[in-house]
Amino acid sequence: MTINPIDSYTWAQFAPSFALVIVAAVILMADSFLTSIPRRGYALIAGFAAIITAFFQCGGELLNPYAALACFATGLSLLISYDYSKVSCAGVGAGDSEDGTGELYALPLIAAAGICALTQASDLIMLFVSLEVVTLSSYVLAGYYRRNQGSIEAGIKYLVLGAFSTGILVFGAAWYYGMTGSFQLDALTVESVFRADPAICAGFLVSMALLSLGICFKVGAVPMHSWIPDVYQGAPTPVSAFLAVASKTAGFAALLTIFNPIMQMQVQGSLAPEVISIFVKALAFVIVLTLLVGNLGAINQRNAKRLLGYSSIGQAGFILVFFLDYGNSACFTIFTYLLAYGLATIAAFAAIAVVRKHRESEEISAFQGLGSSNPFFAFLVTISMASLAGVPLTFGFIAKLESFKSLITASSVIPELIWILPVMILAASVGFYYYFKILRAMYWDKAQPQDKPVKLPLVTGLVMSVCCLLILLGGTLPLILKF
Amino acid sequence: MTANLPWLFLLLPLSIAAINWFFFSKKPGMAAALSTVSALSTLALCIGMLMGCCPTESVSYNWLPMFNGISLNVGILADDMALRMMLVVTSIGSLVHIFSLGYMKGDTSNLSRYFAGLSIFMFSMSCIVLSSNLAMTFIGWEMVGLSSYLLIGHWFNKDSAAEAAKKAFITNRVGDFGFLIGIVLVVSAFGTLEFAEMSGRAAGIAPAILTTTIICLFCGAVGKSAQFPLHVWLPDAMEGPTPVSALIHAATMVAAGVYMLVRLQVSMGAEAFTPTACQVISIIGAITALLAALMATQQDDIKRVLAYSTLSQLGYMVMAVGLMAGEAAMFHLYTHAWFKALLFLGAGAIIVACHHEQDIWKMGNLKKRMPITVSCFCIGTLALIAMPGFAGFFSKESILMAAWDKSPFCFWIGASVAALTTFYMLRVCIIAFLGKERGHGAEHAKDVSPSMLIPLILLSIMAVISGYGIVANQLVPFNGFEAGGFHIGVPFYAGTAALILGAIAAFAIYGFGGKQKDPLAGNCISKALRNRLYIDAFYDKVLIGGIQYVISEVIDFIDGFLIRGIIVQGFAYGVSSFGKLLCWMQGSSLRAYGIVMALGAIIVIFIMAFTF
Repeated sequence: MTINPIDSYTWAQFAPSFALVIVAAVILMADSFLTSIPRRGYALIAGFAAIITAFFQCGGELLNPYAALACFATGLSLLISYDYSKVSCAGVGAGDSEDGTGELYALPLIAAAGICALTQASDLIMLFVSLEVVTLSSYVLAGYYRRNQGSIEAGIKYLVLGAFSTGILVFGAAWYYGMTGSFQLDALTVESVFRADPAICAGFLVSMALLSLGICFKVGAVPMHSWIPDVYQGAPTPVSAFLAVASKTAGFAALLTIFNPIMQMQVQGSLAPEVISIFVKALAFVIVLTLLVGNLGAINQRNAKRLLGYSSIGQAGFILVFFLDYGNSACFTIFTYLLAYGLATIAAFAAIAVVRKHRESEEISAFQGLGSSNPFFAFLVTISMASLAGVPLTFGFIAKLESFKSLITASSVIPELIWILPVMILAASVGFYYYFKILRAMYWDKAQPQDKPVKLPLVTGLVMSVCCLLILLGGTLPLILKF
Repeated sequence: MTANLPWLFLLLPLSIAAINWFFFSKKPGMAAALSTVSALSTLALCIGMLMGCCPTESVSYNWLPMFNGISLNVGILADDMALRMMLVVTSIGSLVHIFSLGYMKGDTSNLSRYFAGLSIFMFSMSCIVLSSNLAMTFIGWEMVGLSSYLLIGHWFNKDSAAEAAKKAFITNRVGDFGFLIGIVLVVSAFGTLEFAEMSGRAAGIAPAILTTTIICLFCGAVGKSAQFPLHVWLPDAMEGPTPVSALIHAATMVAAGVYMLVRLQVSMGAEAFTPTACQVISIIGAITALLAALMATQQDDIKRVLAYSTLSQLGYMVMAVGLMAGEAAMFHLYTHAWFKALLFLGAGAIIVACHHEQDIWKMGNLKKRMPITVSCFCIGTLALIAMPGFAGFFSKESILMAAWDKSPFCFWIGASVAALTTFYMLRVCIIAFLGKERGHGAEHAKDVSPSMLIPLILLSIMAVISGYGIVANQLVPFNGFEAGGFHIGVPFYAGTAALILGAIAAFAIYGFGGKQKDPLAGNCISKALRNRLYIDAFYDKVLIGGIQYVISEVIDFIDGFLIRGIIVQGFAYGVSSFGKLLCWMQGSSLRAYGIVMALGAIIVIFIMAFTF
């Protein structure tokens, strides 16, 4: 029964994490000693390091794609910060340095290393430690602008609420150990619980509830969502992109890891129907609230980053739907949805960064008139917004369609679930309204005389183009895959 | 990759359209060249496939898997019917591209847009013709609607063109709605959208469902092929450039409805077309043929006459489909495509030569001024009025024979429409080509440039030879087409009598071109025919002005009071109070955040642990 956790891992599993940590250490060293190099150059090095690591993890086992996606997203958000450094430095505002400090470029790598380790976790200790690596790096990143009240506020809020959620997570882990006598997350351990008496079984369910609530904080699902709008708004834009994509991917990977034993049991058919129905009930509660809060909350937003914050809550609701049907290749479909969501979200944050850099505002109104003055930039923003809203021929449509399909499949087993469908339809249609607010500003509102011209910088432009190209390919991918 | 050669039919025009649109929007010459080359290469590919030089196999792709094994596929069905139809589409398409080079010369509008539009059309039409299932047909169906909209409205600065484009699009949408319902019915009744899998499945389906399905699908054809009562858009569509009218509104797109119906007839099997459905289809076709021919007799605009004649010929084809004579319908579709394209391009050449004068009463004596164009036009006319020996004769005869066997009602309508056709076409020829010049345009007219003449000459050849069995057996878009043996029977006598009657009437009334104005004009029948039997006015006044107005008032009330007042504002109130609640919870107060999280966590734990 007592397995030494160390024995269940090999060093090779953590090679990507080591590689990323080494690059991060080198960057931190160079930051201290090679002061002649402009610091924004580190963004490029770190970004490409993360993207290369992502390519090494493509394919392979169950959760490897999640690590690849998280590394890729980290790399892209680092590349965004290359062009954004002027704003970042002004935000740091210490005055003694033109370039800010190097940790903005090193910490995302360490967080990505944590995510890579997380996807390899098969017990709660590894899961907890690697998740905390991600979280601790994110605290610093969110509060990076030391002279900016919003950023400080974001950092503090994230820290306090994060500590709260970590507490819940640890509490859940303790319950788990108490009920199973092990930290291992595998079907054998869990099966023994269900063979024991009902009291232990109830205790086990409490531990699952606590663990998933703790992780819901990362995912951004109601009730653990309240930090998201404030932190996304206050944090530096590249960091918001990182939190919205890489950190959320980590959350879903962790959620899949803790649900893994139960999923396996369900596939084998050794899970009692009443247990399934309890899970489904709790999940349905969370899904409905997440869809409603995320999408309805977004309607009134005027700040583009806050809007994307609510959007990320709403999209998490659509992803959670896949768990209702988790016998059926949820691992792959969740990844597909995250990929579609991640590409569009990164492009959207990159657009906000560009507009912020030139017009010094992150309001939606700052986008006005871009349709005529920067048609290509507006086109890219249009694609990313269309994909987030789920317009056909974009990746987002395929992803949303999968989400609806998985709900219908799930409701063929448990008919009551069909009541989530109207909520999903409402959420999806409301999405058109608030995502297209940005498009309306770009194409219908005229630019005001005081609006400064916007120029799409090279690196950010590349990032956005690559994301949009992948979105369009993804929209027609089922077609191309078979060629 | 050679296995996927047929995909070039779709991808080549589509990519050319995209390139023209995005990169050559300021270089019309380049755009024109690219589009023309793309049309010619699809033609070459099509010929290669028909001769058996190129493989026709292709892979079908599962685009969106749905439930119960039904999926939206993207696949190509390249049987004889599709490939021969492609030959008609690509060859007339190529000739129209070449003709456009001459016709649009000196036009100040954006020619890149025009040629991009033509390429989009070639893509969408190929999508309809080659599709292996109804879903892809529908995509192509909507895309031809779009390209038709873009091209009719090419001169969008002209109000009438913009209005016509809108009218065409909206009228088509009415039909497409029925088509979409029909597709859904096919999924539920047949359990598949693939043409290849439909055969034999009709046997187990209730006749009522079959009838509804077929009639809903027929709605799509009514819109696209401009059948009564949705025929109103086609005459107005003549606002577009004439080559567009030739390609889209005469030869190919409007025939797509007939093609789709015959495709369904072939793949579902004859038993799917219940007698009731067939009756509806053939009667709609017959009514369209008759009404359109009547209206054509009093039109003065040369393109409008041709437009009404297209309507009436499409009516013939639809009638043949309704009589379960898909073979005859496709035969007529094929010959009609050649000679109607010829007539439209000829009319285009005449219009250009007369300095954009379209009124036949302002022309005259063109036989002296532009002999080659006029003789091509006359060959087209002879083919259309079914002069024995010309293409139209054979195909019209096969439709009349089918009608004689199945339904005397359709037969007599068909015969009288034939007489009317002869009358109105000879009327145009007499007034425009004989007599004296009545306008300045006609006085300065001369034969057009080679890029316009060559397509005319090639099409005249097809208008003569395409009906003979030796050519038709190879080229008519129908699997295993055999030109039926020709018997001298009642249909032949009726057809010839109609021809002679029509010709006598035309020459008796219009003489040999000496008349200055229409002797038939001025009375109430002529006025009614000129005003399209008041059908458009009826739609405007009663449907749009009356019924739609009443409905819109009701909807406005529902919208204003129920939806806007109660649901939306109530909803908005709900949302905004929800938002306020959120704001209160998001009131930047960490404590509130913590409380929300704790409360939520307690509820989740309660559900998980205490409902066990």
